[in-house]
Amino acid sequence: MEIKLASVDSVIVYFDNKISLDVSFRVKQYLEEIKKLEGIIDIVPSYTSILITYDIFIYSYENLVSILEKIKVNNVSSNDNKIVEIPVYYGEEVGLDLKRISEEKNLSIKEIIDIHSSGSYRVYAIGFAPGFAYMGEVDKRININRLENPRKTIPKNSLAIANEQTAIYPQSSPGGWNIIGKTTIEMFDKSLANLCPVNVGDEVKFYSISKEEFLKQGGVL
Amino acid sequence: MSGFEIINPGILTLIQDKGRFSYAHIGVTSSGCMDEYAYFWANKLLGNAKDCNVLEIAFPSFSVKASSDISISITGADLSLSINGKYSKPWSTYNIKKGDILKFCKSLKGVRAYLAVKGGFLLEKDFDSYSTTIKEGLGAIKGRALIKSDFLPYTPYKHNHKKVLKDKYIPSYDETLVLRVLLSYQKDEFEEKEKEKFFSSEFSVSPESNRMGMKLNGEKITPKISGIISEGIAFGSIQIPSSGQPIILLKDRQTIGGYAKIGSVLAIDCFKLSQAKNNTKIRFEEIDIKSAQEKMKNFYLDFDN
Repeated sequence: MEIKLASVDSVIVYFDNKISLDVSFRVKQYLEEIKKLEGIIDIVPSYTSILITYDIFIYSYENLVSILEKIKVNNVSSNDNKIVEIPVYYGEEVGLDLKRISEEKNLSIKEIIDIHSSGSYRVYAIGFAPGFAYMGEVDKRININRLENPRKTIPKNSLAIANEQTAIYPQSSPGGWNIIGKTTIEMFDKSLANLCPVNVGDEVKFYSISKEEFLKQGGVL
Repeated sequence: MSGFEIINPGILTLIQDKGRFSYAHIGVTSSGCMDEYAYFWANKLLGNAKDCNVLEIAFPSFSVKASSDISISITGADLSLSINGKYSKPWSTYNIKKGDILKFCKSLKGVRAYLAVKGGFLLEKDFDSYSTTIKEGLGAIKGRALIKSDFLPYTPYKHNHKKVLKDKYIPSYDETLVLRVLLSYQKDEFEEKEKEKFFSSEFSVSPESNRMGMKLNGEKITPKISGIISEGIAFGSIQIPSSGQPIILLKDRQTIGGYAKIGSVLAIDCFKLSQAKNNTKIRFEEIDIKSAQEKMKNFYLDFDN
């Protein structure tokens, strides 16, 4: 663990220099400890680090660093993770890149769907846009690069993959990830107390739903 | 109801306050007034609470009509405010009468003007803050810039003692700006000669700048690494993308990103930078964390009354 200066009122704690499940467990555990501290303004956990913004009237930089250094996390994975299940319609009319992936990877579309929906994904970070959760890891058989030419608009609620990562676009936005389906779940929902149905450290499972079910749940083609 | 009727919404007129905190972990940016110096003065001149909401006006032609008497303050950029056709200087309060017309005519000095009313506008907070972030759709007025059909309600107020700020407190918005930098984050991923280049060259503010960040043009700065594992971005972070042209990340920045950062600009200097017009010359100088925190504390203490 290494603590570095980030700005006049923030520090960043690094747990490792490569992405792994083990590092993510440590990020999550450390995060829970920081939440107990007073005078913390904002916390941004990510793959291997946590950015902490603090009240400089409560802590000096040195002061906070010495407190953070004393927080210990073990390497044991916690098994109390929240599991979030997300319905997905993996139809070709919404899974804009399914056909291309199928050709490139020599897999049938059904095989791609089976591979993606049988996985369990950890939320490593949330950012880029509100509710945009970076989840991993995607099975090697469907590991595919980002598009060479990003799309100008990716429809809201699209499910996408890029290399070992998968994510849902919470709002329509430009983007270069490969689109394989669409969900009915809002990833950034102002009517929810916590705005976002997932948190860093949660486990996400996707399950395939039919077109009828998708439409019944309010899905938009 | 009493308030401002919008005659011309302007191009980018936003309700702001200090910002939205404690939601960064789900990707919600801090938002808030780009220039906190002008923001705090706007409220202090009126004797408002420190965190009252204000209007941040980034371009001229914003114009309103007052439906009742109200005391206002104007700080920040001089966008040539006229009250019933008469030029009215910023960094001052004004007692507005029912039917008065306020119009920000043209950009004279600085970029963002702040307009506060006594008691603040009567709006609802959105996730603990009035601040508007357009890309997130969050903020007191549906998360968007003002439009013609909006109405800005306030509680009528008469006869505020007129206050004009002393000249020595009024920023000059010079054509050159020295920004104090805390070397931080990936500072060790920049070779000494790149750091020297960074501190010895002159950059200029690019027209592509906005509330997310200020892009600079100048010498190309190259880190030893092409990218990093995405991590949290602090206010004022100096990101060096592959173009080698620094971007200083401000109030509407994205919360995480994967470019190397050489350090971060002292927040007080980010507020000054927010008033820098295109092509303003920028230089950097190093500051240590101890004096940086001292200066920040003094900055905030000055506005406690």
